[in-house]
Amino acid sequence: MTSHSLSWLLAVPAISALVVLLLPRSWEGSIRRFSIGAMLVELLLSLRLVFADYSEAGYLFVEQMSWVESFGISYKVGVDGLSLWLVILTTLLSPIALYASWGSITTRIKEYAFSFLLLELGMLGAFVALDLFLFYVFWELMLVPMYLIIGVWGGKDRVYAAVKFFIYTMVGSLLMLVAILYVVTSYKELAGHYSFDLQELSTLVLPAMPQYLLFSAFALAFAIKVPMFPFHTWLPDAHVQAPTGGSVILAAVLLKLGIYGFIRFAMPLFPVASQVIGPVLAGLGVFGIIYGAYAAWVQRDLKKLVAYSSVSHMGFILLGLFAMNRTGISGAMLQMINHGISTGALFLLVGAIYDRRHSRLLDDFGGLAKVMPWYALFFVIITMSSIGLPGTNGFVGEFMILAGAFISRSSIGFGSAWFVMTLLAATGVIFAAVYMLHAVLRIFWGKVVHSENESLTDLNRREVLSLLPLLAMVFWIGLYPKFFLDKMNPAVDSFVSDFTVRYYEGRRTSEPHLIDIDELKLKLEAARGLAMAQPMDEEGAR
Amino acid sequence: MHDEANQQILLLLIILFPLGGAVVNGLLGRYMPKSLVTLVGVGSVAVSFGLAVTAFVELYGLAGPDVEHPALIYQFYEWFSIKLPRGQVVAINVRFLMDSLSGVMTLVVTGVGGLIHLYSIGYMGEDEGYPRFMSFLNLFMASMLILVLGSSLPVMFVGWEGVGLCSYLLIGFWYENRVYAAAGRKAFVVNRVGDFGVLIGMFILVGVAGSFEFTDINAAATGGQFRADFPFGILGVMPSLATVACVFLFLGCTGKSAQIPLYVWLPDAMAGPTPVSALIHAATMVTAGVYLCCRLSPLFITSDVAMAIIAVTGTTTALLAASIAVVQREMKKILAYSTVSQLGFMFAAVGVGFFAAGFFHVFTHAFFKACLFLGAGSVMHAVHAHGDADIFKLGGLKKILPITRWTFLASCLAIAGFPLTSGFFSKDEILLGAAAQIYRPDDALQHAVGWFTLIGLTLAAVMTAFYMFRLYFLTFTGDYRSADQLGDHPYDAHPHESPPSMTIPLIVLGLGALFAGFLGLPHLVPITGTHLPNWWMHWMESSVAGQPAPEEMHVVNLASGLAFGAMAVGISAAWLLYRNKSRDALAERMPKRLFQLAFDKWRVDELYGATIVNPIKQVATVAGRADMTFVDAIMTKLPSLNVREAGRIFSRLQNGVVQMYGAVMIVGVVAVLGFFWAPRSHIEATFEGKNVGLTTPPGLGYEYRWDANSDGEFETAWADAPETSFEYEKRDVRDVAVFIMNARSGVEKRIDVGKDWVRLPVEAVAPAATLRPDDVGFEVRVDGKDLVFRRPDPPTLLAGSKELRLPMGKDGRLGPARVFSRPVVEATVEVRNAFGNSRRATKEITLPFWLEDAPPHAALMSHGSEVVR
Repeated sequence: MTSHSLSWLLAVPAISALVVLLLPRSWEGSIRRFSIGAMLVELLLSLRLVFADYSEAGYLFVEQMSWVESFGISYKVGVDGLSLWLVILTTLLSPIALYASWGSITTRIKEYAFSFLLLELGMLGAFVALDLFLFYVFWELMLVPMYLIIGVWGGKDRVYAAVKFFIYTMVGSLLMLVAILYVVTSYKELAGHYSFDLQELSTLVLPAMPQYLLFSAFALAFAIKVPMFPFHTWLPDAHVQAPTGGSVILAAVLLKLGIYGFIRFAMPLFPVASQVIGPVLAGLGVFGIIYGAYAAWVQRDLKKLVAYSSVSHMGFILLGLFAMNRTGISGAMLQMINHGISTGALFLLVGAIYDRRHSRLLDDFGGLAKVMPWYALFFVIITMSSIGLPGTNGFVGEFMILAGAFISRSSIGFGSAWFVMTLLAATGVIFAAVYMLHAVLRIFWGKVVHSENESLTDLNRREVLSLLPLLAMVFWIGLYPKFFLDKMNPAVDSFVSDFTVRYYEGRRTSEPHLIDIDELKLKLEAARGLAMAQPMDEEGAR
Repeated sequence: MHDEANQQILLLLIILFPLGGAVVNGLLGRYMPKSLVTLVGVGSVAVSFGLAVTAFVELYGLAGPDVEHPALIYQFYEWFSIKLPRGQVVAINVRFLMDSLSGVMTLVVTGVGGLIHLYSIGYMGEDEGYPRFMSFLNLFMASMLILVLGSSLPVMFVGWEGVGLCSYLLIGFWYENRVYAAAGRKAFVVNRVGDFGVLIGMFILVGVAGSFEFTDINAAATGGQFRADFPFGILGVMPSLATVACVFLFLGCTGKSAQIPLYVWLPDAMAGPTPVSALIHAATMVTAGVYLCCRLSPLFITSDVAMAIIAVTGTTTALLAASIAVVQREMKKILAYSTVSQLGFMFAAVGVGFFAAGFFHVFTHAFFKACLFLGAGSVMHAVHAHGDADIFKLGGLKKILPITRWTFLASCLAIAGFPLTSGFFSKDEILLGAAAQIYRPDDALQHAVGWFTLIGLTLAAVMTAFYMFRLYFLTFTGDYRSADQLGDHPYDAHPHESPPSMTIPLIVLGLGALFAGFLGLPHLVPITGTHLPNWWMHWMESSVAGQPAPEEMHVVNLASGLAFGAMAVGISAAWLLYRNKSRDALAERMPKRLFQLAFDKWRVDELYGATIVNPIKQVATVAGRADMTFVDAIMTKLPSLNVREAGRIFSRLQNGVVQMYGAVMIVGVVAVLGFFWAPRSHIEATFEGKNVGLTTPPGLGYEYRWDANSDGEFETAWADAPETSFEYEKRDVRDVAVFIMNARSGVEKRIDVGKDWVRLPVEAVAPAATLRPDDVGFEVRVDGKDLVFRRPDPPTLLAGSKELRLPMGKDGRLGPARVFSRPVVEATVEVRNAFGNSRRATKEITLPFWLEDAPPHAALMSHGSEVVR
């Protein structure tokens, strides 16, 4: 079945970006409408993916086309339960972010629309690429428009923030490129030909030592993107300086690429290393949860507060991911969507108030519930989603992550470490309430003390329209997450069992070799049936 | 599990009506006329109450001697699921259950809730936020009903946090007052500390019981599954699973039900409108902790330690809060501390195993405390007091507010435990539980807890009677002290009785306060010793576990005597000190500093501020500052500085000075020579039948000679070939290596065995996910030529044979793991290079076969470390 769904998905933003480039600069209204329209078409196209059958693990909508034959580089794309919702998140948030931007961006409309379409192309490409080279291309492609969005339409220190963002990300990805090349050459020595195809490279099992080094190289790139403590310091700068639309996309989608990179590439390719280093990363995630929450609490700038809350939330996701069981990973995957929705919405809300007051300092507000009741309602609901109140989306993700971490028993002898990590992470639930309610208190409750705030208008149609879909998602995922989880669980189950097989294979081996994972799995099944017979008996001793 | 045909949709509708009311009033309320808001807000709860009664009647019809656990069930849909390590998928269903416990609670919530909604029409009708108020109140009802009717912990948790949210919103209802809003935030955050405990407790429960459903957890607890030790020690002790789970859950209860250490939010919560205080912070939400303990009573009763903690915490809280209430001057504040104290009574009952008695107090308390709060509200409404009313500015209201006065008096009698009122029966049962604990002979811990509880609760009961009648006399007797409009901020000079929408709830609740106790007549009447039918205990039996009621007359007489005496002493003291008086006679008789300390609530808030809140805040401040300076400097500025400086240094090196280049070249040549100076050597072994091939990496100009069995004599002369082969014999064996291998994955690990028992590291070779809990836990040692295995806890797997012997060289199997032993030999090679330098390498080689005709084992590879000598 080659319907070219994914190719269309990549083609629409690419073509639209070119069209925007060709339109005259003065047709501002047309450019605004056209770019939104293209993104809505894109959203509709992507919805098609949802209705496929994900009850079996494996890639759907796969397309493959040779690109650089001599190096085994191909254009290969596909989605599975792991990437599906991230694709949808991208296609949903992109038009929302752009639509919200049209309320405040007034200069260089054409370039802004072009950057956004290119950004969407890069993100989607990175999510659907099944070829490491292709992935790397899209991964780097995203950097450029984001760099421009921050650097051109950003705040006062936009250039510093943009350069910092760019260099930080670049350093990580260069090491990743080296690691990719190492894997590919190792594969060539065994298989006789080059390949960047993820599925082919997945048959390669490396011994532990190179795995550690390669995983570390991948992990650095992804940890910076996540961002994991201590690689997070680019984030507050980037968020504070970026325009609202840029912040929304940055928080909602770009950060997810870090986690996605782990689960799609780093963990399957280097299972031994991720089993050993993973708990350390989870520990840093837990540290990030508390550290981010503390830092968020004392911020005076609302946008910075939300940025630090991202560090805290992404810590949860790391914890769930490296719990290495279905509950934790599914929770992490769902929490990525949740964070995209709630933090995206929070940035929209921050942008809304910034447009009115040209300030984001908590000290400049107070009593807004009186002046902007609808704004207060939206803000409080999103706050509840962000702090994981049951019934909203945040709860389901956090619950699954904490449960997954709690029942995780690492096989490398951490013993009670997971219990302690879960306890510490769960205190993040308390601190989330502390810093978010602190913000709510400072902004909304009390009397209106600044006279500038007395005449503020409530949310306008554009703002309500861009927030409503997110609000609907908050409750949809909160009340019926099964719809989303059912589509990702088979993929996660298969991920975990593949991972286990490859992990043990990697631990046994001292030489790189190629494996047939299905055959190994059958063997494992057979051994399992055998072992279930008797605990220890004469037959066994024979 | 549940029967599809027996779906009782009423349970869902009971919840959906208030929820719908909340949504309608919340979104559209401000555009609707007030009467419509009232209709939606009060009507939805009234309908919900009607449905609850219908359902309860049906439940009552189900109950019979042959039905073990009568319950109505509604399975709505599957919410999500988690997967346990052993592969079991635990579905979390949105499922509601009404049994004898939740049935009564539902009636209380909807009934008392309905009355308070009715009261709110009069009390809040003039407030501009009336629709918002109704919406929040309805949302609270829905959340509370989910809490009560949820059949599993996560669903209950939805309600649990939902009521917390509503509490937050309603405490800060008058949000323009920042102090009120801050009180709301405090309530939410403190409750979240408790919720943290519930979350962790939940995970322990599901890990052991494999289900979130209350019935399954209770069945597992009854089956003794929670008696096992927690997997690892905490602070040097090995508690049982039940203890750890219960302590975490109880932390949640202390948050929601305002017990030490988390009670501090409740007094501040009085910032909310009075109906909120009555409904949420007295009658329903704060009793959720007691409800949870009763819900999981079979679990709690498994852990003596946890029960002792609960009893002591409850008693201490009852005493502490009562001691504060005795000296306060504001109506709602006194009632708030009274609530904390009464909740302490309930937990004390739970802690001594009298769950049903504790819950009976929840039931009676709902009537008299709601009535007291609404009465206080009626007084405040009458005198136009805002926020709270200072009782020293009131007085003499009995003539002006007759309905309020009589209902208030009835409730005061009930809470003090005046004979035949509701509080009399319920408090009596609690003291009876404590007394029974003393006479339980076997356990020193229970004995001590019993004494502490009995004495503590008696003292608290004295204070309860005293502070309630202090409140009553100062408010309703004597002269109205604001009549002359002197002093600071006097109240309205001409108070008036409240409208019927407020007095009707008062009357209904007052009647309940007087007569609700007859549902729980004492099993044994003191002095006479007559047996009476106790409907309550009998009704609760099917869903709540607990200790049996004592049959000895002296226990019953002791409990009743203490309860009656406490009531009499407390009321008399208040009569003497405060009846028709206007001064605080107690305060004048107390030492000034003691009074001040008690009046300042023993300065607990300040203590928490100094020891917990401020240190965390300081750490946060440091973290926030350090992040942008210190962390960013290390991660960003330092690397960028490095790059710049490195660039400078390297550009200096390219300076064109030939001597410099020469020096660098010499360093390089020396390094290369050094690398080649000494030969390198290490050994690898291959196996072909009994023949062992030994190889070492070839090097240019190397020569080799082998001593394959390391006996000091080289078998080969110096030769160019980097390999040899050898057939080992029994006398070459240096050691025996024992391996454990996972039969499923093939992963293996060598274990060190000796004369002493060592634990087999099964978990090191098997993926944790594939292990059953009983797969781990073998120990092994060497005994002569045998390996001996045993389980530290024999009964489960090796019943009958406590030890198992395995001759060396034989393969054995332990669950998913194989165990086998192999001979270890040593091989030596000496390598000589062109410089004449030589080097020896010795390596231990584990043979893949036993040397006594054992079959070769294909999966085995060579092990051991390389030793260079």
